[in-house]
Amino acid sequence: MRTKNSILFTLITSFFLIFIVSIWKILATLQGLNIQSFNLQIIFIFGLLISFANLRIGSKIKIFYKSIIFSLIFVICDGYIIQKLPLWYNIGIFIILYFFVNKINKYSFKDLKEQHSTQVIFFDFLTLFGILFFSFVILFPFYMMLITSFKTQIALLVNPLDFSINFSQDFKDLFKSYFVIFKSYKFGQYILTSTIVSVGTVIITLIFAIPAAYAIARLNFFGKTFMSTSILIIYMFPAIVLVIPLYTIFSQLGLRNSIEGLLIVYTATTLPVAIYMLQGYFKSIPKELEEAAILDKLSWFGIITKIIIPLSIPAISSVALYVFMIAWNEFLFSLMFLDNPNSFTLSRAIQYLSGDAETPRQYLMAGSVIVTLPVLFIFVYFEKYLVSGLTAGSVKG
Amino acid sequence: MANIQFKGIHKSFGSNKIITDFNLKGNEDEFLVLVGPSGCGKSTLLRMIAGLEKIDDGEIFINDIKINELHPSKRQTAMVFQSYALYPHMNVFENMSFGLKIEKRPKDEIQSKVAEAAKILKIEELLDRRPKELSGGQRQRVAIGRAITRNPKIFLFDEPLSNLDAALRAEMRVEISKLHNQIKTNMIYVTHDQVEAMTLADRIVILNKGKIEQVGTPEEIYNDPANIFVAQFIGTPKMNILEISEENIISETTIKFLGLEIEFNNIKFKKTKHYIGIRPEHLKVNHKSAFTFIPEVELIENLGNEKIVYIKNEADQLSAKISSNEKVTNKVGFDLKDIFIFNKNGERIKL
Repeated sequence: MRTKNSILFTLITSFFLIFIVSIWKILATLQGLNIQSFNLQIIFIFGLLISFANLRIGSKIKIFYKSIIFSLIFVICDGYIIQKLPLWYNIGIFIILYFFVNKINKYSFKDLKEQHSTQVIFFDFLTLFGILFFSFVILFPFYMMLITSFKTQIALLVNPLDFSINFSQDFKDLFKSYFVIFKSYKFGQYILTSTIVSVGTVIITLIFAIPAAYAIARLNFFGKTFMSTSILIIYMFPAIVLVIPLYTIFSQLGLRNSIEGLLIVYTATTLPVAIYMLQGYFKSIPKELEEAAILDKLSWFGIITKIIIPLSIPAISSVALYVFMIAWNEFLFSLMFLDNPNSFTLSRAIQYLSGDAETPRQYLMAGSVIVTLPVLFIFVYFEKYLVSGLTAGSVKG
Repeated sequence: MANIQFKGIHKSFGSNKIITDFNLKGNEDEFLVLVGPSGCGKSTLLRMIAGLEKIDDGEIFINDIKINELHPSKRQTAMVFQSYALYPHMNVFENMSFGLKIEKRPKDEIQSKVAEAAKILKIEELLDRRPKELSGGQRQRVAIGRAITRNPKIFLFDEPLSNLDAALRAEMRVEISKLHNQIKTNMIYVTHDQVEAMTLADRIVILNKGKIEQVGTPEEIYNDPANIFVAQFIGTPKMNILEISEENIISETTIKFLGLEIEFNNIKFKKTKHYIGIRPEHLKVNHKSAFTFIPEVELIENLGNEKIVYIKNEADQLSAKISSNEKVTNKVGFDLKDIFIFNKNGERIKL
């Protein structure tokens, strides 16, 4: 069992090493490095050796020294002696190897004796493969977007497939596209419109969704089950079906080209899912808490504001995040309802600019980066609120 | 300093009748325990007093004031929930003072009331902790503390100890008993645990299927049960019930059971089915009992200080509780005074 497991372990780890080193090599090529070959067999042999040596050494040497020694050996052999590559490339390789050795360190000969350890190793590395592969697939277009936005018109025309960034140019030239889109394309105004529309949608949706979700979760009224199940039916209508009747209605009401009009449509489209998400969470809040609050002389309104909302912060913030992203990225309705450049949202503005053949591509890409960044930052910031478990300890635990 | 009175309470959920015609008058400063099997309506009754459940029919009075239509917060009751129901986003102090804060009482009054309650329950050092940082017993104390700060006329406990482990339950039982001695107010306590009922209560109300089976002090309930249900509900292991069929009623005064013909001098039996009850602790092995029989031992459970012996005598299955240094060697006996007689409907016939 141990031999079989050990062989499997070394094989899986070596393939994993090949995979991550290859990704780094691809990225390095895009940065303009001229790599003759991937040298897969050499990485493979090194992978085998390192994981075998790791098993043999076990915990005789501290993990820190072990990782440094292995990484250095690999970097010196592969980077300097065989391929003679620049320092920054080798630093990257060193970090990858350091991560790799740390990853395989938790396995020892002792663990491999156990029968099921093959599966554990397999799934462990499969997860890592998955994470790395999909983040590569998702991040690569973003990387391209970012690179293009940092280029000049001439550089783009000379070699559109050059993925390197010229860091040697000065700061102003590097960010030239960003200055231009704010100066001559009124991107500041678009950002403002988008922000107002998105934040407004979030606020209005929450104002309507919280009481509605509470009613569905807790109160008994005629048609409750029908209502709670039919909420999601709205989602069965594709937006494209709704957009034309809405267009005529909005034209007659004079709501086209107005922020109010967008707020109405966005709230209507996000409300069902917001109610659905919130009522599920409200149902999970123990009923005794509300009964205790009733005995504490709280009114229904007080129960919602003082008990339900503080306890639902994780759910409410994830709903808010979801609604914000929908409203920020929304395109179809803004395309139909907005035709005056003064009331454009960001996504509509980019579409408008890309329709114009004279708009250079790097400006479009800079605009796209600006559309993407806020969502990224908000997501990173809100992430801690998304962790549930705030109700822990209220009732029997 | 309050008394509570129920007059003809009815309650049903849909077609399911939970409580039918419940009448009871409580005494001042009494510790009343409602006990019964699950589904007997005891929690519903408590929730009706608190105002969390509507009263279908009948009236509840506290200090002769009808409370049926009063808002829960105006009934001067405080409830301790089975699941504690502490507000998880507030610390212990805020939990205990929340009701007072809603009433907009002055700050120093809130402070002193919470401090007083915390002192009674010995939770002064926990005041700035969150519920999730407390152990089960501490949470229970905080829940009781929250009830105390409301300064109620009547405390309502809804199975407050059922989420605690056995050792802690015994400890908290003593604490609640002490608490009642300390703050003399009415307490109504719902439980399905007969030990809690027996140890805590001034009076026990035994409920079954929404009806009162018996009301009385723990001694009365144990020594003088009104029917088979009460007799079997109180006491562990439960009382042995033997069926006496018609042919075993030999004469108006003599019946035959466990192979013995026993004559009673102060009772007249009718020629119908009867039941005989003997508590396991009243079956004795080495005392000179009036009546003895030779059983077959089926199983012995040793609890350390005592043993529960499952015995068989012809068709009758019995259990006996004996001291652990005793042995079932030969005879098992009982005295006539320990016999309970019930008629065919399960009601007690007093000797």
